[in-house]
Amino acid sequence: MQPDLDQTLMALADPTRRAILARLSLGEARVTEVAAPFAMSLAAVSKHIHVLEKARLLKRRRSGREHFLTLDPAPLDAAAQWMAAERALWTGRLDALDALLKTQDRKGTVP
Amino acid sequence: MTDKPSVTVRRHFDASPERVFDAWLDPETAGQWLFATPTGQMVKVEIAPRVGGRFVIVERRDGEDAEHTGEFLEIDRPRRLVMTFGVPKYSANVTKVTVEITPSGAGCDLTLTSDNLDAEYVERTKQGWAMILDNLARTRGL
Repeated sequence: MQPDLDQTLMALADPTRRAILARLSLGEARVTEVAAPFAMSLAAVSKHIHVLEKARLLKRRRSGREHFLTLDPAPLDAAAQWMAAERALWTGRLDALDALLKTQDRKGTVP
Repeated sequence: MTDKPSVTVRRHFDASPERVFDAWLDPETAGQWLFATPTGQMVKVEIAPRVGGRFVIVERRDGEDAEHTGEFLEIDRPRRLVMTFGVPKYSANVTKVTVEITPSGAGCDLTLTSDNLDAEYVERTKQGWAMILDNLARTRGL
């Protein structure tokens, strides 16, 4: 389990932050470009960017007075892996329960 | 906790809601499926089926004991069961598992949701319990 999984999942649990990641998946962008489509202040968007930065989902590069952002998909892979593993585990367990109940029915050993 | 991404699995059972619900809490039944693997050997199934009660299910796999533990947060037979769940030996990660069962035809539909609990919450809960137990010990002169 990745130690940062909680942070990744928390960062992903917000539509604005997901939209920011979607924008950055197209390539590097200035902070002002990232903020432009949102009907909120630059300060508000900056807070979201900071959360993504803390979760290491994006990297910031400074060039003069400009800040450029790029997506870092590595933590996303960890989150996707957790979700896939968790789904597989529970699907398997519920399969086992279904099989057990059906066996009980066949044997007539319903408690 | 509700706005975190979670994993949901749905499944239909031909059995009644009561039977499917009880399969989680009855130690003899739970030991046969819940954390059982085809080659493992179940060595311990302890379930305290009440809110705040804990469960410990240990299966021996290739000579190694896999211990699954958790605590019941809600028990509403046969509709809803909420518990925490972890495998402390392998991971500090704890999930909250919610099981919802609704009648469907002659059987029932089960929806299971697994939420990843953040470490802070787990720490708070742990501290909370430690405090309660400390207080209890003190008041009873233990």
